[in-house]
Amino acid sequence: MREPVDDRLAALRGSAKRLDYNARSLAALENNPRCTLRALLDASGSDKAAIATHVGHPPAFGQSSFAITRGNAFEAMVKANGCAELLRVLRETLELTLPEVGYEDLNDVGGDGRSKERHERTEEVLLRAARGEGDGTLFDHPMLCLQIGGHKAYLEPDLVAFRIDGRFHVVEIKSFPIIDEQAAPAQVRAATTQASAYIIALRDLLGRAGIGEEAVSDTIVLVAPKDFTNRPTGAFVDARKQVAALTRQLSRIERVGDLVDLLPEDLTFDLARDSEDRPRRPAEELNEALDQVLVTYRPDCLNHCEMAFYCRSRARAEASLDVLGPVVRDQFGGIDTTTMVMGLARGELTPSEDQMEMAAALRHAARLRAELEDLGGAA
Amino acid sequence: MSTLSALAHVQAMESMQAVPLTEFRHRHLSARPLVIIPLAMAGEAGAPLAAMVGSAKRNGTLLVVAQPRNRDQRFAFAAGLGRIVMDYIDSFRQDRRGEGERSRYTDAPQILVPNPGGLKALADLGRMCRFRSTSGPYAVPDVVPEFGMWLTFLVDKAEQAGTSMLLPVTGMLTEHWATGQSTLEDQNLASLMAWIAPPSGLSVDQAMADAENPDVCPPAGPSTSPEFDNRDLAPAIRKFDTAHKLGDPHALSAAETELRELIAGQIQPTWRMVWQAISLLRSVPEAPRSAKRFEGDCKAFTDYSNYRDSGGLPQRKRDTAIGAARRLSFLERALAEFESDMAFDDRFVLADRRSAGEAFSGTVVEAEPGRTVTTDKNRRVPRPRVTVRTEDPVRLAADTKLISPSMLAGHKAVIVSVLPDGDTARVTVEITGGMGRGRVPKQGTVPEPGQYVAYLPDPGWRPAPQFPASDAAPWTHSAADEVGTDSAVPEDAAAEEWGNEE
Repeated sequence: MREPVDDRLAALRGSAKRLDYNARSLAALENNPRCTLRALLDASGSDKAAIATHVGHPPAFGQSSFAITRGNAFEAMVKANGCAELLRVLRETLELTLPEVGYEDLNDVGGDGRSKERHERTEEVLLRAARGEGDGTLFDHPMLCLQIGGHKAYLEPDLVAFRIDGRFHVVEIKSFPIIDEQAAPAQVRAATTQASAYIIALRDLLGRAGIGEEAVSDTIVLVAPKDFTNRPTGAFVDARKQVAALTRQLSRIERVGDLVDLLPEDLTFDLARDSEDRPRRPAEELNEALDQVLVTYRPDCLNHCEMAFYCRSRARAEASLDVLGPVVRDQFGGIDTTTMVMGLARGELTPSEDQMEMAAALRHAARLRAELEDLGGAA
Repeated sequence: MSTLSALAHVQAMESMQAVPLTEFRHRHLSARPLVIIPLAMAGEAGAPLAAMVGSAKRNGTLLVVAQPRNRDQRFAFAAGLGRIVMDYIDSFRQDRRGEGERSRYTDAPQILVPNPGGLKALADLGRMCRFRSTSGPYAVPDVVPEFGMWLTFLVDKAEQAGTSMLLPVTGMLTEHWATGQSTLEDQNLASLMAWIAPPSGLSVDQAMADAENPDVCPPAGPSTSPEFDNRDLAPAIRKFDTAHKLGDPHALSAAETELRELIAGQIQPTWRMVWQAISLLRSVPEAPRSAKRFEGDCKAFTDYSNYRDSGGLPQRKRDTAIGAARRLSFLERALAEFESDMAFDDRFVLADRRSAGEAFSGTVVEAEPGRTVTTDKNRRVPRPRVTVRTEDPVRLAADTKLISPSMLAGHKAVIVSVLPDGDTARVTVEITGGMGRGRVPKQGTVPEPGQYVAYLPDPGWRPAPQFPASDAAPWTHSAADEVGTDSAVPEDAAAEEWGNEE
């Protein structure tokens, strides 16, 4: 008899405190959905940064305090005086008709900043608004909640606006600039995916009260600085595709049990911290545990996954073509390692049936390369 | 990417050293390039933090913005950098040759930045400066908008394949060397140099690890490392702000000195590395056709120079539909020509195209040198045919026009047929040009049996495409509402407010 999935996941995490999903880690799901290691670490709530650091591959991306300060300052500026600047953007730039405006701060409830209380309050206020009662139009920092793989994750959108065409709209306030009506695509994409998590959570909340999902628009309102100024401007971003993608990823988390079943019984990523919070588990042993799980490394993991340096060193050790990235890898469909590529190119390995064509191309390329090198020239 | 280039990367990964991808350097490298290393403040839109600039390794100038959020300091910085860059650019506006319309400057400036991010930083700086007003409220020094327009010109030109007036050094290096790491990692100058020329005494492995350690190799910008920001830079800027507020000149100059030293420590390793990369690139011979492309650069430089001299307007924020179509067509054309030039000059690049089936070479096995045809004008002209046996996986179709790097200049041919023959292919081509004017081809203009020849597609001449006049865009391509678009100089240009802290 196998243990229930939750117990198995808890065993993977071990003694550490559970880390919950947030909008950011949910958004990251979209980047490399096929990676088993990542799925397991996230689903079990393990601390990826701590694990990576302990095995000698600390993540390299920190966040600069300047970026954080700027982000907070901009958000505060947009929301100052009952969201005066935001309303200007909604009315002038996006040409929306917002007849009267009520602003409701859901940041804390009578001084109670706990997630659960805030979530209950959010639920009450948003449901009232959805039923046409109450006079809220803008809801500041509502606390949403999403069941992910059987666990509650609290999510906190910057702002939710209501009564734009009678629907809820998620408003994302970001501090990257929109210069001449264009923003960096990668940043817009990240913001949209994050907002998609809020849309799903909001629909979930309303859905439980029997309100259809059309009550939440899948167009988000992006508010960001205009050009090089501090003044905000806005744009609509269509999030339909990312809402669908994220919904699909979430349903996969539900099936994390299938992945767990493939693991050895006693596998754990526990750091075995002592009373002073120092990891006691030998790094070797943790490394061996990690090595038993499949990873799907891609160079762009370096930009967003805490485990990326570990995965890269593993890919390098295996001489995997993943190290070179998809541009090179895709040239050798069906071949995984440099050893294999070089073996086929040199004619030292016998290609299998479906490698015949690739092997011929490789031998041809190797002949060309040899010709070039024989003639000398570039060094 | 072709199988051959992909294989080069695999070879590099296996042998743990960079593998050459080309025989030549296909970019002109100025005898006196101007290196700019821009640094920007994280999270802030186009807030320059510092720049190191200079046209020789020994005389780099470091410019620092003590409080990047302060608008006045930003533009003092832009003016400072602008003066250096404009002096450099103006030094190429001296020597002019030719008469009237064909008069050209004989040399053109070349600005080198460490990586594509540096190029983006200059693009942002150009956009930030070019609309600034030199009078009225928020006035800036005269050099600022001028600098902005020149930067924008250079950034626009950098999008054109084969030009050399503004280039990221990482791009020049990766055009010539394949490494055993990904494209993403290749954009890190230190990682790239670790493969090509690891510091003496270090293996590529060790050099790569160092390259990613911000304490050993600070990032080449434009962003500084978050650790540096939080640990060193933020406190130093706070000190400066405090001194500024108190109006204490001693504390202020001490704070400024500290900031400069901190930033110098971050930027100098990159400075040295860029110059090391430049001398590496110098050791690679320049491709023959690069000179012709450089003439194009000189022409573009002259044209823009004349435009500026006649007081031209700054570049618009967004292209019009017709302007964009014209530009796109021009860029596509330039790319096709650059690719063809490279393959023509460089047997490595030719091999690359061959591996992808876009070019072929082999031995002539059959020839009909005396074949002639009668043209529409009833003239008999020589149209010899030869058949080449090649081992290359030819993917060219019949009627493809060809040129040949292995024949005399002007040689032109067209594919008649491609027939597979066991593991090889027999390509029959008809020679259509480069044989002289006579009824009999000149000696040596038709390949002979047993001769080794190479062919690649002719990018050819094509007429300049005709576009409607700028004000006659068809309705499908004109915006219904002109809200917030398109006057060349926006009315509120000077009124833009800036991210001042207070």
